[in-house]
Amino acid sequence: MLAAGRPATQPPTDPPAVSLAGVTRVFGVVPALVRVDLSVERGEILLVSGPNGAGKSTLLRVVATAISPTYGCGSVLGLDLLRDRDQVRRRVELVGHRTRLYEDLTAQENLRFACDMHGLGRSGVPTALERVGLVDVAGERVRTFSQGMRQRLAVARALLRSPELLLLDEPYAGLDAEARHIVDDAVRSMRSEGRTVMLATHDVAGPDLATRTVAMESGRIAGSGSFPERILS
Amino acid sequence: MRPAERMMGRLAARPGERILGWLAMGALAAAAIMALVVAPDDAQQGTVYRLMYVHVPSAWLAYLSFFVVFVASIAFLKTGKIRWDRLAASSAEIGVLFTALTIVLGSVWGKPVWGTWWTWDPRLTTTALMLLIYVGYLAVRKLSDNPRRRGRWAAVVGIVGFADIPVVQLSVTWWRSLHQQPSFQLGHVTMAPIMTATLLVAVAAFTLLYVYLMSLRLRVGRLEERAVATALSPRLGQRPDALIAEMDGAGQGSVAEPAEELEPEATRRA
Amino acid sequence: MTFLRQSAAVAGKDLRIEVRGRYALGAVLPFAATLLVAFGLSLGPDRVLLQRTAPGLLWLAVLFAAVLASRRAYESESEDGALEGLLLAPVDKAAVYLGKAAAVAAQLLVLEVIVMTLVSALFSLSLGGNLPALAAAFVLGTTGLAGVGALFGALDASARAREAVFPLLVLPLATPVLVAGVKATAIATSGTGGTLGSWIGLLVAFDLMILAAGTLVYGYLLED
Repeated sequence: MLAAGRPATQPPTDPPAVSLAGVTRVFGVVPALVRVDLSVERGEILLVSGPNGAGKSTLLRVVATAISPTYGCGSVLGLDLLRDRDQVRRRVELVGHRTRLYEDLTAQENLRFACDMHGLGRSGVPTALERVGLVDVAGERVRTFSQGMRQRLAVARALLRSPELLLLDEPYAGLDAEARHIVDDAVRSMRSEGRTVMLATHDVAGPDLATRTVAMESGRIAGSGSFPERILS
Repeated sequence: MRPAERMMGRLAARPGERILGWLAMGALAAAAIMALVVAPDDAQQGTVYRLMYVHVPSAWLAYLSFFVVFVASIAFLKTGKIRWDRLAASSAEIGVLFTALTIVLGSVWGKPVWGTWWTWDPRLTTTALMLLIYVGYLAVRKLSDNPRRRGRWAAVVGIVGFADIPVVQLSVTWWRSLHQQPSFQLGHVTMAPIMTATLLVAVAAFTLLYVYLMSLRLRVGRLEERAVATALSPRLGQRPDALIAEMDGAGQGSVAEPAEELEPEATRRA
Repeated sequence: MTFLRQSAAVAGKDLRIEVRGRYALGAVLPFAATLLVAFGLSLGPDRVLLQRTAPGLLWLAVLFAAVLASRRAYESESEDGALEGLLLAPVDKAAVYLGKAAAVAAQLLVLEVIVMTLVSALFSLSLGGNLPALAAAFVLGTTGLAGVGALFGALDASARAREAVFPLLVLPLATPVLVAGVKATAIATSGTGGTLGSWIGLLVAFDLMILAAGTLVYGYLLED
């Protein structure tokens, strides 16, 4: 069990973006995460690789506070995973398997509702739609959208919120080249702003952007390395 | 004592539990003697009224159980410690048992007195609704195998359910009172002092029984958790007692004890 | 955004979805109508009997409609996992609860107006008697039902489980609404039978209880 490598020259001023200690998550009697220790510095673009069922999604969901660890503890941006959940949620955005969109609302209405729920003004909505190329269909109901369009809308929602930590779970699934480009753009802009990204994928397209890679297997961290010395599953 | 032995000690019946069991049996025996032999017949109902000595304590136990569920549910939501959820679940099960018993006894008592198995007597009706609410509580516990989620959902039902009972009782009482000629209600038997004494003994005996049953059920609960922890242990590379201590002791997601990392092969414990 | 505005945003979102999906009008209303006709058939053509039982049948139909409407309120949340989106937003979960309850209540009230006219026709129930009291009974009762439904509809485990357990939870808990609603309706439409005040008071008490409890515990239902 390795502690994830930390860039040695990082001055310990800011708390790390993510710090997990012994995080275990069990579903019934099936462990999805087993004693995961992980440290992610701010500004890192961390690639989490691994086969299906390795626990990548669960890991991201724990960091996002969508689910809580069965054992273990952790912090995100210096905020405790268990006690400061609402504060963590203000600063983190998860773009996951499920798009969390309302089928019967239009793209625009979905984004506006997200703004309302996160206490943001609605003014950023048109820009966000532009950046993901959905301006033309802003007034269409999500039910009519393809998988790629839905993913793009989810990315738009993430951009609106400009979170300090962005979590992407298989963002390339079912996307065409243009949509992938949009996702990569979003990650790049996060990087340029010094924000942190965790990207989980078994797709080989991701690694170009990553500053570090962590490989997962059967709920554990199997190895890590900094790009380009990445460990493929 | 090594942690494993301590854990096993907690799982076997402690001497206190056995004493409690004998005490409860003794008290019930005393109550039975008083109810069947010592207390005189009732002027109006003859000997049938003696069912009261079981019916009323049963009802008392039902309310007590659900009050415990209420308090334990709040404690669980506030602290996140699994032991409160275990307490709530145990009390709910026992409560459902005694609620059903109350209704059956009330019905059996009612038949010779009123001539029917069921009347919409407000207290009986409220008890029936209470039974349904807590059967719902137990059903909700089956919805998830994630212990904390299950506990949270059940706690919500336990809290709302208990808060609702006074309102339900009031509504059913008013509903009933508009119709009925003042027939004597179950329990409104004129009570000679000896009858009151017998009733109090019966209530005390049932309360002891409740405590005893709770201790049994809580122990079963701990065994269940141990079974889950034992199943998880090889996969997590930690001993079951450590897992249980972690889950139970400090509430949600505590810092791990310095866990002995076990080699996967070596965790096949007898 | 303030609590109230977020609550309104949730209610507005739910109502917008309802208007587009037309579930309440398209499915719940026909169901309620069918139920009433079935009641009428099963009780026989005795007009007097139907008149006397009309308030009860009306409220039974409302109760079932409330169960359906509440379940529906959470279906849109589970299609793409949107409920998790509400969990992950820093919005006060109590605001979400009240918003959802308000939306369910609004749908039910519209439904009730239609259903009442139906009952009036089918069961010869004259609605004229004490209209303000009747309205009060329905508004308060509906609020209570929506309060229960919006709370327990969040038991999100799986659609299958939710279908069986949800009605089992709602119906006993909603008994005071049923009892008080029927009594108040009977008194308001016939002009006799007791004091309206206590039944209305009971409805108020129930509403306060369920909304307060729901506001306090809703967040716990969504977690994890």
